[in-house]
Amino acid sequence: MLKIKPATGQFKTELSDTKAALHVVNLRKRFGQLEVIKGLSLTANQGDVISILGSSGSGKSTLLRCLNFLEPPNEGEIWIGGRQIQARAGATGQREINALRINLGMVFQTFNLWLHKTVLENIVEAPIHVLGLSKAEAHLRAEELLLKVGLADKRHAYPSQLSGGQQQRIAIARALAMEPEILLFDEPTSALDPELVGDVLKVIRALADEGRTMLIVTHELNFARQVSNRIVFLHEGQIEEEGPPDAFFNHPSSPRVRQFLSSQRDGYHR
Amino acid sequence: MTLLQGFGDQIIAGAITTLQVALTSLVLGIAVGLCGAMAKVNGIGALRWLADGYTTIVRGIPELLIILILYFGGTVALTALLGRYVEVDAFAAGVFALTIVFGAYATEVFRAALLAVPRSQIEAAHALALSRALTFRLVILPQMWRYALPGLGNLWLTLLKDTALISVVGLEDLMRKASVAAGATHDPLTFYLIAAALYLTFTSVSLVGLALLEQRAGRGVRISE
Repeated sequence: MLKIKPATGQFKTELSDTKAALHVVNLRKRFGQLEVIKGLSLTANQGDVISILGSSGSGKSTLLRCLNFLEPPNEGEIWIGGRQIQARAGATGQREINALRINLGMVFQTFNLWLHKTVLENIVEAPIHVLGLSKAEAHLRAEELLLKVGLADKRHAYPSQLSGGQQQRIAIARALAMEPEILLFDEPTSALDPELVGDVLKVIRALADEGRTMLIVTHELNFARQVSNRIVFLHEGQIEEEGPPDAFFNHPSSPRVRQFLSSQRDGYHR
Repeated sequence: MTLLQGFGDQIIAGAITTLQVALTSLVLGIAVGLCGAMAKVNGIGALRWLADGYTTIVRGIPELLIILILYFGGTVALTALLGRYVEVDAFAAGVFALTIVFGAYATEVFRAALLAVPRSQIEAAHALALSRALTFRLVILPQMWRYALPGLGNLWLTLLKDTALISVVGLEDLMRKASVAAGATHDPLTFYLIAAALYLTFTSVSLVGLALLEQRAGRGVRISE
Protein backbone atom coordinates (compact mmCIF):
# COMPACT_ATOMS: atom_id res chain seq x y z
CA MET A 1 0.00 0.00 0.00
CA LEU A 2 1.12 3.50 -0.68
CA LYS A 3 0.82 6.89 0.77
CA ILE A 4 0.70 10.30 -0.73
CA LYS A 5 2.72 12.54 1.45
CA PRO A 6 0.70 15.62 2.29
CA ALA A 7 2.61 18.35 0.54
CA THR A 8 2.37 21.94 1.70
CA GLY A 9 -0.83 22.72 -0.10
CA GLN A 10 -1.63 20.61 -3.12
CA PHE A 11 0.88 22.37 -5.30
CA LYS A 12 4.54 22.99 -4.75
CA THR A 13 5.80 25.93 -6.71
CA GLU A 14 9.27 26.17 -5.27
CA LEU A 15 10.58 23.45 -7.54
CA SER A 16 12.96 24.38 -10.29
CA ASP A 17 11.47 21.92 -12.76
CA THR A 18 7.84 22.99 -12.51
CA LYS A 19 7.74 23.18 -16.28
CA ALA A 20 8.23 19.42 -16.36
CA ALA A 21 4.94 17.79 -17.34
CA LEU A 22 6.01 14.57 -15.67
CA HIS A 23 8.76 14.00 -13.18
CA VAL A 24 9.43 10.52 -11.82
CA VAL A 25 11.95 10.08 -9.02
CA ASN A 26 13.38 6.79 -7.81
CA LEU A 27 10.38 4.64 -8.73
CA ARG A 28 10.43 1.07 -7.47
CA LYS A 29 8.05 -1.80 -8.10
CA ARG A 30 8.33 -5.32 -6.72
CA PHE A 31 6.23 -8.37 -7.51
CA GLY A 32 6.97 -10.51 -4.47
CA GLN A 33 10.73 -10.99 -4.40
CA LEU A 34 11.20 -9.83 -7.97
CA GLU A 35 12.03 -6.17 -8.40
CA VAL A 36 10.78 -5.07 -11.81
CA ILE A 37 11.42 -1.33 -11.62
CA LYS A 38 14.64 -0.55 -9.78
CA GLY A 39 14.76 3.05 -8.69
CA LEU A 40 13.95 4.63 -12.04
CA SER A 41 13.92 8.40 -12.59
CA LEU A 42 12.56 10.14 -15.65
CA THR A 43 11.50 13.64 -16.65
CA ALA A 44 9.21 14.60 -19.50
CA ASN A 45 8.89 18.25 -20.40
CA GLN A 46 5.81 19.79 -21.94
CA GLY A 47 5.55 18.55 -25.52
CA ASP A 48 8.06 15.74 -25.15
CA VAL A 49 7.36 12.56 -27.08
CA ILE A 50 9.36 9.84 -25.40
CA SER A 51 9.53 6.35 -26.85
CA ILE A 52 10.34 3.66 -24.33
CA LEU A 53 12.14 0.69 -25.83
CA GLY A 54 13.58 -2.48 -24.38
CA SER A 55 13.33 -6.24 -24.67
CA SER A 56 10.37 -8.04 -23.14
CA GLY A 57 10.65 -8.23 -19.38
CA SER A 58 12.63 -5.01 -19.17
CA GLY A 59 9.81 -3.30 -17.26
CA LYS A 60 8.46 -0.99 -19.99
CA SER A 61 4.80 -1.77 -19.51
CA THR A 62 5.12 -2.00 -15.74
CA LEU A 63 6.62 1.49 -15.72
CA LEU A 64 3.59 2.94 -17.53
CA ARG A 65 1.20 0.98 -15.32
CA CYS A 66 2.94 2.25 -12.20
CA LEU A 67 2.53 5.86 -13.30
CA ASN A 68 -1.28 5.64 -13.15
CA PHE A 69 -1.33 3.14 -10.29
CA LEU A 70 -2.78 0.25 -12.26
CA GLU A 71 0.19 -1.36 -10.52
CA PRO A 72 0.75 0.57 -7.30
CA PRO A 73 4.47 1.35 -7.05
CA ASN A 74 6.29 0.42 -3.84
CA GLU A 75 8.42 3.51 -3.63
CA GLY A 76 9.15 6.76 -5.38
CA GLU A 77 7.68 10.09 -6.31
CA ILE A 78 5.54 11.01 -9.26
CA TRP A 79 5.13 14.70 -10.09
CA ILE A 80 2.58 15.82 -12.62
CA GLY A 81 2.36 19.49 -13.50
CA GLY A 82 4.04 20.32 -10.22
CA ARG A 83 1.76 18.14 -8.13
CA GLN A 84 3.45 15.43 -6.17
CA ILE A 85 2.27 11.90 -5.58
CA GLN A 86 4.66 10.10 -3.32
CA ALA A 87 4.54 6.35 -3.50
CA ARG A 88 5.61 4.89 -0.20
CA ALA A 89 4.57 2.09 2.09
CA GLY A 90 1.15 3.04 3.46
CA ALA A 91 -2.24 3.68 1.97
CA THR A 92 -2.56 6.02 -1.00
CA GLY A 93 -5.97 7.62 -1.02
CA GLN A 94 -8.23 6.65 -3.90
CA ARG A 95 -9.03 10.31 -4.43
CA GLU A 96 -5.36 11.18 -4.98
CA ILE A 97 -4.90 8.22 -7.31
CA ASN A 98 -7.89 9.35 -9.35
CA ALA A 99 -6.56 12.91 -9.48
CA LEU A 100 -3.41 11.40 -10.99
CA ARG A 101 -5.34 9.23 -13.42
CA ILE A 102 -7.37 12.18 -14.73
CA ASN A 103 -4.10 13.70 -15.92
CA LEU A 104 -2.75 10.52 -17.47
CA GLY A 105 -4.58 9.19 -20.53
CA MET A 106 -3.85 5.49 -21.03
CA VAL A 107 -4.04 3.59 -24.31
CA PHE A 108 -3.77 -0.19 -23.89
CA GLN A 109 -2.25 -2.80 -26.15
CA THR A 110 -5.58 -4.62 -26.35
CA PHE A 111 -7.70 -1.42 -26.60
CA ASN A 112 -9.94 -2.49 -23.67
CA LEU A 113 -13.00 -0.76 -25.03
CA TRP A 114 -16.08 -1.69 -23.02
CA LEU A 115 -17.73 -4.40 -25.04
CA HIS A 116 -21.29 -3.72 -23.88
CA LYS A 117 -21.20 -0.04 -24.79
CA THR A 118 -21.32 1.67 -28.16
CA VAL A 119 -18.43 3.75 -29.44
CA LEU A 120 -20.11 6.96 -28.28
CA GLU A 121 -20.93 5.53 -24.85
CA ASN A 122 -17.34 4.38 -24.44
CA ILE A 123 -16.14 7.93 -24.99
CA VAL A 124 -18.69 9.90 -22.94
CA GLU A 125 -18.93 7.82 -19.73
CA ALA A 126 -15.80 9.10 -17.98
CA PRO A 127 -16.19 12.78 -18.97
CA ILE A 128 -19.77 12.72 -17.67
CA HIS A 129 -19.17 10.80 -14.45
CA VAL A 130 -15.65 11.90 -13.55
CA LEU A 131 -15.31 15.41 -14.99
CA GLY A 132 -18.98 16.27 -14.47
CA LEU A 133 -19.64 17.32 -18.05
CA SER A 134 -23.26 17.52 -19.14
CA LYS A 135 -24.41 14.87 -21.60
CA ALA A 136 -24.60 17.46 -24.36
CA GLU A 137 -21.05 18.71 -23.70
CA ALA A 138 -19.67 15.19 -23.53
CA HIS A 139 -21.35 14.18 -26.76
CA LEU A 140 -20.10 17.29 -28.51
CA ARG A 141 -16.58 16.52 -27.36
CA ALA A 142 -16.93 12.88 -28.42
CA GLU A 143 -18.14 13.83 -31.89
CA GLU A 144 -15.19 16.15 -32.39
CA LEU A 145 -12.78 13.43 -31.32
CA LEU A 146 -14.43 10.87 -33.61
CA LEU A 147 -13.89 13.24 -36.52
CA LYS A 148 -10.30 13.62 -35.46
CA VAL A 149 -9.64 9.87 -35.49
CA GLY A 150 -11.68 9.52 -38.68
CA LEU A 151 -14.44 7.30 -37.33
CA ALA A 152 -17.45 9.60 -37.00
CA ASP A 153 -19.60 7.10 -38.92
CA LYS A 154 -18.98 4.42 -36.29
CA ARG A 155 -20.49 6.31 -33.36
CA HIS A 156 -23.28 3.79 -32.78
CA ALA A 157 -21.25 0.66 -33.48
CA TYR A 158 -20.19 -1.79 -30.79
CA PRO A 159 -16.46 -2.48 -30.45
CA SER A 160 -16.88 -6.05 -31.70
CA GLN A 161 -18.12 -4.65 -35.01
CA LEU A 162 -14.86 -2.77 -35.56
CA SER A 163 -11.42 -3.81 -36.71
CA GLY A 164 -8.56 -3.74 -34.23
CA GLY A 165 -7.19 -0.58 -35.77
CA GLN A 166 -10.56 1.15 -35.52
CA GLN A 167 -10.96 0.00 -31.91
CA GLN A 168 -7.56 1.42 -31.03
CA ARG A 169 -8.42 4.78 -32.60
CA ILE A 170 -11.64 4.84 -30.55
CA ALA A 171 -9.60 3.98 -27.45
CA ILE A 172 -7.34 6.95 -28.20
CA ALA A 173 -10.42 9.18 -28.57
CA ARG A 174 -11.72 7.86 -25.25
CA ALA A 175 -8.45 8.78 -23.53
CA LEU A 176 -8.40 12.23 -25.19
CA ALA A 177 -11.95 12.97 -24.06
CA MET A 178 -10.61 13.39 -20.52
CA GLU A 179 -8.22 16.08 -21.83
CA PRO A 180 -5.26 14.58 -19.99
CA GLU A 181 -1.97 16.41 -19.69
CA ILE A 182 -0.01 13.35 -20.68
CA LEU A 183 -0.80 10.37 -22.89
CA LEU A 184 0.57 6.92 -22.11
CA PHE A 185 0.65 4.38 -24.93
CA ASP A 186 1.31 0.77 -23.93
CA GLU A 187 2.37 -1.01 -27.14
CA PRO A 188 -0.55 0.52 -29.03
CA THR A 189 0.03 -1.40 -32.26
CA SER A 190 1.33 -4.75 -30.99
CA ALA A 191 -2.06 -6.47 -31.15
CA LEU A 192 -2.87 -5.22 -34.66
CA ASP A 193 -2.66 -6.86 -38.04
CA PRO A 194 0.24 -5.29 -39.95
CA GLU A 195 -2.00 -3.54 -42.48
CA LEU A 196 -3.92 -1.80 -39.67
CA VAL A 197 -0.87 -0.42 -37.86
CA GLY A 198 -0.49 2.57 -40.19
CA ASP A 199 -3.82 4.20 -39.39
CA VAL A 200 -3.16 4.09 -35.66
CA LEU A 201 0.38 5.42 -36.02
CA LYS A 202 -0.98 8.26 -38.15
CA VAL A 203 -3.30 9.31 -35.32
CA ILE A 204 -0.49 9.13 -32.76
CA ARG A 205 1.77 11.12 -35.04
CA ALA A 206 -0.89 13.83 -35.41
CA LEU A 207 -1.11 14.05 -31.63
CA ALA A 208 2.65 14.45 -31.40
CA ASP A 209 2.48 17.24 -33.97
CA GLU A 210 -0.05 19.03 -31.76
CA GLY A 211 2.63 19.22 -29.09
CA ARG A 212 1.09 16.76 -26.69
CA THR A 213 3.28 15.18 -24.05
CA MET A 214 3.41 11.44 -24.65
CA LEU A 215 5.14 8.32 -23.39
CA ILE A 216 5.04 5.49 -25.90
CA VAL A 217 6.08 1.94 -25.16
CA THR A 218 6.58 0.42 -28.59
CA HIS A 219 8.37 -2.12 -30.74
CA GLU A 220 7.98 0.02 -33.87
CA LEU A 221 11.54 1.30 -34.10
CA ASN A 222 11.06 3.31 -37.28
CA PHE A 223 8.01 4.99 -35.83
CA ALA A 224 9.80 5.72 -32.56
CA ARG A 225 12.63 7.28 -34.51
CA GLN A 226 10.31 9.52 -36.53
CA VAL A 227 7.84 10.59 -33.91
CA SER A 228 9.81 11.00 -30.71
CA ASN A 229 12.27 13.62 -29.60
CA ARG A 230 13.75 11.26 -27.03
CA ILE A 231 14.32 7.52 -26.73
CA VAL A 232 14.57 5.75 -23.39
CA PHE A 233 15.93 2.22 -23.39
CA LEU A 234 15.07 0.06 -20.39
CA HIS A 235 17.01 -2.93 -19.21
CA GLU A 236 16.06 -4.89 -16.10
CA GLY A 237 14.01 -2.08 -14.64
CA GLN A 238 16.57 0.67 -15.12
CA ILE A 239 17.34 3.16 -17.85
CA GLU A 240 20.23 1.73 -19.82
CA GLU A 241 20.50 4.58 -22.28
CA GLU A 242 18.55 7.65 -23.28
CA GLY A 243 18.94 10.39 -25.81
CA PRO A 244 17.64 11.94 -29.03
CA PRO A 245 16.65 9.40 -31.70
CA ASP A 246 19.55 10.12 -34.08
CA ALA A 247 22.19 9.57 -31.42
CA PHE A 248 20.37 6.56 -30.02
CA PHE A 249 19.94 4.72 -33.30
CA ASN A 250 23.21 5.76 -34.96
CA HIS A 251 25.68 5.88 -32.11
CA PRO A 252 24.39 3.93 -29.13
CA SER A 253 27.00 3.77 -26.39
CA SER A 254 25.62 0.74 -24.57
CA PRO A 255 26.53 -2.67 -25.98
CA ARG A 256 23.10 -3.92 -24.92
CA VAL A 257 21.40 -1.28 -27.05
CA ARG A 258 23.64 -2.19 -29.99
CA GLN A 259 22.73 -5.84 -29.54
CA PHE A 260 19.01 -4.97 -29.26
CA LEU A 261 19.08 -2.84 -32.40
CA SER A 262 20.94 -5.42 -34.45
CA SER A 263 18.61 -8.22 -33.32
CA GLN A 264 15.64 -6.08 -34.34
CA ARG A 265 17.20 -5.47 -37.75
CA ASP A 266 17.81 -9.20 -38.14
CA GLY A 267 14.16 -9.67 -37.36
CA TYR A 268 13.16 -7.63 -40.37
CA HIS A 269 15.20 -9.82 -42.72
CA ARG A 270 13.57 -13.03 -41.55
CA MET B 1 -69.92 -21.07 -11.21
CA THR B 2 -69.62 -24.58 -12.43
CA LEU B 3 -66.20 -24.28 -13.96
CA LEU B 4 -63.96 -26.88 -12.33
CA GLN B 5 -66.79 -27.68 -9.95
CA GLY B 6 -66.55 -24.20 -8.48
CA PHE B 7 -62.82 -24.37 -7.79
CA GLY B 8 -61.76 -22.21 -10.76
CA ASP B 9 -61.48 -19.00 -8.73
CA GLN B 10 -59.56 -20.80 -6.02
CA ILE B 11 -57.04 -22.17 -8.49
CA ILE B 12 -56.53 -18.72 -10.02
CA ALA B 13 -56.04 -17.15 -6.59
CA GLY B 14 -53.49 -19.86 -5.76
CA ALA B 15 -51.63 -19.26 -9.00
CA ILE B 16 -51.41 -15.54 -8.23
CA THR B 17 -50.06 -16.26 -4.74
CA THR B 18 -47.46 -18.60 -6.23
CA LEU B 19 -46.30 -15.89 -8.63
CA GLN B 20 -46.20 -13.29 -5.86
CA VAL B 21 -44.07 -15.48 -3.60
CA ALA B 22 -41.74 -16.42 -6.44
CA LEU B 23 -41.24 -12.88 -7.78
CA THR B 24 -40.73 -11.34 -4.34
CA SER B 25 -38.19 -14.02 -3.46
CA LEU B 26 -36.47 -13.53 -6.81
CA VAL B 27 -35.93 -9.79 -6.28
CA LEU B 28 -34.78 -10.19 -2.67
CA GLY B 29 -32.72 -13.27 -3.52
CA ILE B 30 -30.85 -11.44 -6.29
CA ALA B 31 -29.95 -8.71 -3.80
CA VAL B 32 -28.76 -11.32 -1.29
CA GLY B 33 -26.82 -13.14 -4.00
CA LEU B 34 -25.06 -9.95 -5.18
CA CYS B 35 -24.06 -9.08 -1.62
CA GLY B 36 -22.91 -12.66 -0.99
CA ALA B 37 -20.83 -12.72 -4.17
CA MET B 38 -19.18 -9.38 -3.39
CA ALA B 39 -18.43 -10.56 0.14
CA LYS B 40 -16.81 -13.69 -1.26
CA VAL B 41 -14.79 -11.96 -3.96
CA ASN B 42 -13.86 -8.60 -2.39
CA GLY B 43 -14.82 -9.06 1.24
CA ILE B 44 -12.50 -8.90 4.21
CA GLY B 45 -11.98 -11.93 6.47
CA ALA B 46 -15.13 -11.96 8.60
CA LEU B 47 -17.49 -11.11 5.74
CA ARG B 48 -16.04 -13.78 3.51
CA TRP B 49 -16.25 -16.30 6.32
CA LEU B 50 -19.88 -15.39 6.88
CA ALA B 51 -20.73 -15.76 3.18
CA ASP B 52 -18.92 -19.10 3.00
CA GLY B 53 -20.82 -20.37 6.04
CA TYR B 54 -24.14 -19.20 4.61
CA THR B 55 -23.78 -20.91 1.25
CA THR B 56 -22.34 -24.08 2.78
CA ILE B 57 -25.21 -24.50 5.24
CA VAL B 58 -28.09 -23.51 2.99
CA ARG B 59 -26.93 -25.49 -0.02
CA GLY B 60 -26.31 -28.52 2.17
CA ILE B 61 -29.84 -28.87 3.62
CA PRO B 62 -33.01 -29.90 1.76
CA GLU B 63 -35.20 -26.90 0.90
CA LEU B 64 -38.22 -28.47 2.59
CA LEU B 65 -36.29 -28.71 5.85
CA ILE B 66 -35.12 -25.11 5.59
CA ILE B 67 -38.71 -23.97 5.12
CA LEU B 68 -39.91 -25.99 8.11
CA ILE B 69 -37.03 -24.90 10.34
CA LEU B 70 -37.47 -21.22 9.46
CA TYR B 71 -41.25 -21.41 9.89
CA PHE B 72 -41.23 -23.14 13.25
CA GLY B 73 -38.03 -21.42 14.34
CA GLY B 74 -39.56 -18.07 13.40
CA THR B 75 -42.67 -18.85 15.42
CA VAL B 76 -40.60 -19.79 18.47
CA ALA B 77 -38.33 -16.76 18.10
CA LEU B 78 -41.15 -14.26 17.66
CA THR B 79 -43.13 -15.79 20.51
CA ALA B 80 -40.13 -15.53 22.80
CA LEU B 81 -39.41 -12.02 21.62
CA LEU B 82 -42.93 -10.64 22.02
CA GLY B 83 -43.84 -12.68 25.07
CA ARG B 84 -47.02 -14.11 23.55
CA TYR B 85 -47.83 -16.76 21.00
CA VAL B 86 -47.37 -15.47 17.48
CA GLU B 87 -48.07 -17.46 14.37
CA VAL B 88 -45.77 -16.54 11.54
CA ASP B 89 -47.51 -15.41 8.39
CA ALA B 90 -47.15 -18.17 5.82
CA PHE B 91 -46.51 -15.74 2.96
CA ALA B 92 -43.75 -13.92 4.84
CA ALA B 93 -42.21 -17.19 6.02
CA GLY B 94 -42.32 -18.57 2.49
CA VAL B 95 -40.70 -15.52 0.93
CA PHE B 96 -38.07 -15.46 3.66
CA ALA B 97 -37.19 -19.13 3.26
CA LEU B 98 -37.08 -19.03 -0.54
CA THR B 99 -35.01 -15.83 -0.48
CA ILE B 100 -32.48 -17.52 1.77
CA VAL B 101 -32.32 -20.55 -0.52
CA PHE B 102 -32.25 -18.61 -3.79
CA GLY B 103 -29.69 -16.16 -2.38
CA ALA B 104 -27.29 -18.95 -1.49
CA TYR B 105 -27.28 -20.44 -4.97
CA ALA B 106 -27.31 -17.00 -6.60
CA THR B 107 -24.23 -16.07 -4.55
CA GLU B 108 -22.28 -18.76 -6.37
CA VAL B 109 -23.70 -17.82 -9.77
CA PHE B 110 -22.79 -14.16 -9.24
CA ARG B 111 -19.38 -15.04 -7.83
CA ALA B 112 -18.52 -16.93 -11.01
CA ALA B 113 -19.91 -14.05 -13.10
CA LEU B 114 -17.88 -11.45 -11.18
CA LEU B 115 -14.71 -13.42 -11.78
CA ALA B 116 -15.55 -13.85 -15.46
CA VAL B 117 -15.54 -10.11 -16.25
CA PRO B 118 -12.18 -9.58 -17.96
CA ARG B 119 -9.60 -7.71 -15.89
CA SER B 120 -8.85 -5.47 -18.89
CA GLN B 121 -12.41 -4.10 -18.90
CA ILE B 122 -12.01 -3.04 -15.27
CA GLU B 123 -8.54 -1.60 -15.81
CA ALA B 124 -9.88 0.62 -18.58
CA ALA B 125 -12.37 2.07 -16.09
CA HIS B 126 -9.67 2.57 -13.45
CA ALA B 127 -7.35 4.26 -15.93
CA LEU B 128 -10.14 6.74 -16.73
CA ALA B 129 -10.36 7.62 -13.01
CA LEU B 130 -13.78 6.05 -12.51
CA SER B 131 -14.32 5.31 -8.82
CA ARG B 132 -14.83 1.76 -7.58
CA ALA B 133 -18.58 2.30 -7.26
CA LEU B 134 -18.84 3.73 -10.78
CA THR B 135 -16.70 0.95 -12.19
CA PHE B 136 -19.04 -1.57 -10.61
CA ARG B 137 -22.18 0.15 -11.87
CA LEU B 138 -21.03 1.06 -15.37
CA VAL B 139 -18.75 -1.82 -16.29
CA ILE B 140 -18.82 -4.83 -13.97
CA LEU B 141 -22.55 -5.14 -13.29
CA PRO B 142 -23.74 -4.90 -16.92
CA GLN B 143 -21.09 -7.37 -18.05
CA MET B 144 -21.81 -9.75 -15.17
CA TRP B 145 -25.37 -10.32 -16.32
CA ARG B 146 -24.19 -11.97 -19.48
CA TYR B 147 -22.36 -14.60 -17.44
CA ALA B 148 -24.96 -14.84 -14.68
CA LEU B 149 -28.21 -15.06 -16.66
CA PRO B 150 -28.06 -18.71 -17.76
CA GLY B 151 -27.39 -19.81 -14.16
CA LEU B 152 -29.98 -17.42 -12.74
CA GLY B 153 -32.53 -18.70 -15.25
CA ASN B 154 -32.08 -22.22 -13.90
CA LEU B 155 -32.42 -20.96 -10.34
CA TRP B 156 -35.59 -19.07 -11.22
CA LEU B 157 -37.24 -22.20 -12.61
CA THR B 158 -36.29 -24.08 -9.46
CA LEU B 159 -37.61 -21.23 -7.31
CA LEU B 160 -40.91 -21.14 -9.16
CA LYS B 161 -41.43 -24.85 -8.49
CA ASP B 162 -40.08 -24.70 -4.93
CA THR B 163 -42.99 -22.41 -4.01
CA ALA B 164 -45.02 -25.63 -3.96
CA LEU B 165 -43.06 -26.62 -0.85
CA ILE B 166 -44.42 -23.61 1.04
CA SER B 167 -47.86 -25.23 1.03
CA VAL B 168 -46.65 -27.45 3.90
CA VAL B 169 -46.77 -24.42 6.21
CA GLY B 170 -50.22 -23.46 5.04
CA LEU B 171 -49.62 -20.94 2.26
CA GLU B 172 -52.63 -20.88 -0.03
CA ASP B 173 -50.59 -21.29 -3.17
CA LEU B 174 -51.35 -23.11 -6.40
CA MET B 175 -50.18 -26.44 -5.03
CA ARG B 176 -52.30 -26.22 -1.89
CA LYS B 177 -55.39 -25.05 -3.73
CA ALA B 178 -55.06 -27.91 -6.20
CA SER B 179 -54.61 -30.35 -3.36
CA VAL B 180 -57.69 -29.04 -1.51
CA ALA B 181 -59.76 -29.16 -4.67
CA ALA B 182 -58.51 -32.65 -5.42
CA GLY B 183 -59.60 -33.83 -1.98
CA ALA B 184 -62.99 -32.12 -2.05
CA THR B 185 -64.01 -33.29 -5.51
CA HIS B 186 -62.48 -36.78 -5.44
CA ASP B 187 -61.01 -35.93 -8.83
CA PRO B 188 -57.30 -35.50 -8.03
CA LEU B 189 -55.97 -36.17 -11.50
CA THR B 190 -57.85 -33.26 -13.10
CA PHE B 191 -56.68 -30.73 -10.54
CA TYR B 192 -53.09 -31.93 -10.38
CA LEU B 193 -52.92 -31.85 -14.18
CA ILE B 194 -54.31 -28.32 -14.17
CA ALA B 195 -51.70 -27.29 -11.59
CA ALA B 196 -48.97 -28.93 -13.65
CA ALA B 197 -50.16 -27.12 -16.76
CA LEU B 198 -50.08 -23.78 -14.94
CA TYR B 199 -46.55 -24.35 -13.60
CA LEU B 200 -45.48 -25.34 -17.10
CA THR B 201 -47.05 -22.18 -18.52
CA PHE B 202 -45.21 -19.99 -16.04
CA THR B 203 -41.87 -21.65 -16.69
CA SER B 204 -42.33 -21.56 -20.46
CA VAL B 205 -43.12 -17.85 -20.42
CA SER B 206 -40.07 -17.39 -18.20
CA LEU B 207 -37.87 -19.15 -20.73
CA VAL B 208 -39.00 -16.76 -23.46
CA GLY B 209 -38.31 -13.80 -21.17
CA LEU B 210 -34.89 -15.20 -20.29
CA ALA B 211 -33.96 -15.57 -23.92
CA LEU B 212 -34.80 -11.89 -24.47
CA LEU B 213 -32.81 -10.87 -21.40
CA GLU B 214 -29.82 -12.89 -22.55
CA GLN B 215 -29.98 -11.22 -25.92
CA ARG B 216 -29.98 -7.81 -24.26
CA ALA B 217 -27.15 -8.74 -21.86
CA GLY B 218 -25.08 -10.06 -24.74
CA ARG B 219 -25.27 -6.80 -26.67
CA GLY B 220 -22.02 -5.84 -28.25
CA VAL B 221 -20.68 -9.34 -27.75
CA ARG B 222 -22.86 -11.52 -29.91
CA ILE B 223 -23.70 -9.35 -32.86
CA SER B 224 -26.17 -10.81 -35.32
CA GLU B 225 -26.23 -8.70 -38.41
